[in-house]
Amino acid sequence: MLPCGTFAERYEQDKAIVRTKLQWGLFIGFLVLLFVLPSFLPIRFLGMLNMTGIILIAVVGLQITTGYAGQINLGQAAFLGTGAYMTAFAATRLGLPFWLSIPIGGIGASAFGTIFGLPAVRVKGFYLALTTLAATFVFYFMMLRLPWFGGERGIGVPAASIGGFMLTSPESQYYLVMVTTVVMIFFAYGLVRSRIGRAFTAIRDNDNAAQILGINLFYYKTLAFIIGTFFAGIAGGLWAYQFRFVSFEQISLFQSLWYIGMIIVGGMGSILGAILGTVLLRGAEEFINWLGPLLQQASVVGTGVAFAGMYIVLGGIIILFLIVEPKGLTHQWNKFKVTYRLWPFPY
Amino acid sequence: MIYFAQYVCSGILLGLLYSMVALGLTVVYRSGRIINLAQGELVIVGGFLIWWFIVMTPLPQWWMGIIIAFALMGLLGLVIERAFFRPLIGQPIFSLVMMTIGLLLLLRGVVIATFGAKERPFPQIFSAEPVVLGPFSFDSALFWGGIIALLIVLALAWFFERTKYGLRFSAVAEDHQVAQSMGISVKQSVAVAWVLATILGGFASIVFFNGKIVTFLASEIGFRALPVALLAGLESVRGVLVAGIIVGIGEMLAMGYLNPITNGGMANIFPYIVMIVVVLFKPQGLYGWRVIERV
Repeated sequence: MLPCGTFAERYEQDKAIVRTKLQWGLFIGFLVLLFVLPSFLPIRFLGMLNMTGIILIAVVGLQITTGYAGQINLGQAAFLGTGAYMTAFAATRLGLPFWLSIPIGGIGASAFGTIFGLPAVRVKGFYLALTTLAATFVFYFMMLRLPWFGGERGIGVPAASIGGFMLTSPESQYYLVMVTTVVMIFFAYGLVRSRIGRAFTAIRDNDNAAQILGINLFYYKTLAFIIGTFFAGIAGGLWAYQFRFVSFEQISLFQSLWYIGMIIVGGMGSILGAILGTVLLRGAEEFINWLGPLLQQASVVGTGVAFAGMYIVLGGIIILFLIVEPKGLTHQWNKFKVTYRLWPFPY
Repeated sequence: MIYFAQYVCSGILLGLLYSMVALGLTVVYRSGRIINLAQGELVIVGGFLIWWFIVMTPLPQWWMGIIIAFALMGLLGLVIERAFFRPLIGQPIFSLVMMTIGLLLLLRGVVIATFGAKERPFPQIFSAEPVVLGPFSFDSALFWGGIIALLIVLALAWFFERTKYGLRFSAVAEDHQVAQSMGISVKQSVAVAWVLATILGGFASIVFFNGKIVTFLASEIGFRALPVALLAGLESVRGVLVAGIIVGIGEMLAMGYLNPITNGGMANIFPYIVMIVVVLFKPQGLYGWRVIERV
């Protein structure tokens, strides 16, 4: 629902994402805020923000595969890891600059993800969850044994550089992550409104019906995986440059479940949902990381409880949202938007 | 040749352990097409409970500890159904499977918080002496566990296919609405399925952990049993025996002949490769139901 007095007189206006002058103002203000943020945020928060941006890209990819196209993916972290390894490989062995090696990470993750997405063509629903679950274990196996990925030691990655300027400080890395995240989210917003996005939604809602409507299931289901894992690969590339080191130990099945939790909390089938869920759960994660040691120092809880707390909180949040608000935070936000736009009238 | 035969025999026993875990997946799947990703955690919970009641509490006999632990496991099954799955009746299957993921994380957190993240020595319930049959020797837990698994599978297959009470569950497995309108209580059969799953988790934990170390990291067995349930066809109770033996033998052969080539690890991912192949070429498994969908 649009604010009062907004009318579209041309198709361009009707198609636009940003509809009113106020929205334009807020949007530009937000972008400016993103640019000036490093100047007044402490370094520690900047690091958290970088991590959030990287994960956000992977979660938006997962939202496209799972939330829009309905293809369950329980291996997004493994695809992120593949992207990180491919980027590290491109940066060290091939000596490519970061603006080439990050897309190579994306393509590598896509290729790996497609292997696990192909069964989607034959089966539906939760069988797919099982093949993507296997992705994590196959990932470990491959990365530890393939000769050019450094085995158990992992690979160190050189710093990204633009014309001799090295992106090593958290501020410079922030700009790299932030710009990439904004571009990828913009791409995702466009994609889900396009013909491809509509095909994805049709497949999610009922793939038999979609096929009858003339949607090529093989093409679109595979495409959903290619795009979703490409996002994961890009996130992996940024991950490699963020830590300057890639190792199989950075990736776990738990992270994939954590990403699924983010889209459940945010709301399935909405890019905004991916953003809300990521920010909220990342906040919760950092809060527990901060609170755990504090409580331990004060001897309120024993060691290990903080570690357990992460599992309990995440499991609890997923269960709570499934029971209380299965449509996620986006649904609540949309309801709130309608209410304040109509206020003081009830409808 | 003797090595080959030994690998095959050990593979059969390993496969029977897998089929015991996979049976937990099958009964839950039959109760509403839920792929239970938390089955591995249930095995861990069972392991910790049995460890607690045998080692940490002064009970006069070890079997009392096992009985109490099994009673608690059954109770856990009831709680899971009542608290987590009954509110989701009528929700899409996606929510149900996500709920098992939430359950997995929650159970793991609760286990770490209550029992600590340390490793615990599990009591030696079956003797440490290997069972020797002719030229072969077997781990005694796996050997007796295999026999228990065989009996449980046959008993459950008889229950689901031959008794009137069990046939109701098959009706629920086919369609909730139809079963409900025939006067069968769907809630009750879902509850029974979860109780069966938790108790099977307890059995599997005895066989799996006997004389070893209990740690929450071992919950991967739940994922490793997924290919077995899948190969059997998720609805088939009897099929998990066949599928378990196939996957078990394959894994042991991979361990014996492929691991030296790939520098180890092939046996670890073998079940997952089976899973991908099954999903690609025969998604309904060996004995699963072929469902025809209409728009």
